[in-house]
Amino acid sequence: MPIKKLAFIVDKLPYKAETSRLALTHAISSQTVEIYLEDGDNVEPVLAFVGDGVLNCLKDQKALDHYSISSMEMHLKNALLLDLKVLVCKEDLESFGLTEDSIVMDAEEIGGEETTKVVPYDTILQEMDSSDHILYF
Amino acid sequence: MPELKTMEPSDTLDVLGRVCPYPLVLTKKKLEKMNSGDILKILCDAPASAEDSIPRFCEKQGCAMEVVKLEDKGYWEIYIQKK
Repeated sequence: MPIKKLAFIVDKLPYKAETSRLALTHAISSQTVEIYLEDGDNVEPVLAFVGDGVLNCLKDQKALDHYSISSMEMHLKNALLLDLKVLVCKEDLESFGLTEDSIVMDAEEIGGEETTKVVPYDTILQEMDSSDHILYF
Repeated sequence: MPELKTMEPSDTLDVLGRVCPYPLVLTKKKLEKMNSGDILKILCDAPASAEDSIPRFCEKQGCAMEVVKLEDKGYWEIYIQKK
């Protein structure tokens, strides 16, 4: 098992349940499992937001004010800080009337170098096709 | 060879306040950008990271490492020399 590609697909709304938060937690944590694997083995995570899930990526979330919990926006920035590959479905974003300006595209303020990629659904399907495991949240 | 903690670190990573898995992943990211032989000093107050995951990672990577627990300050100083 040299490298296993894991696709974390989020299609649930933020905050209604813990589902999307779990997706980010698992995707981020997957970057550390190599310490428990055989030498040369590793996992390569990709995190994709589709359907209602794209709303997890909105800017200026007020979760701390309204729900007294950390926002999905902050978790997403942490994912980018840790160089996770983050994809957002272009068609689903447009169906909500949203653009790249409406969502978290980078985490520069906390030192992140990776950026969110807004891509057609076909690209996400290709990522899923090339993954060893697909996990839906 | 002198103890790593007595040598001048090439870089310092402050992950105080961050919990597992962030200290380890940020350590990996920082080490990737350093050169062989460089010393990274990490400030960490997450017990699982300081006493388990970061040492385990260093062992796998074959990097020299020293962990110093600062009881009075409530955190650890970790010194890693990149292989």
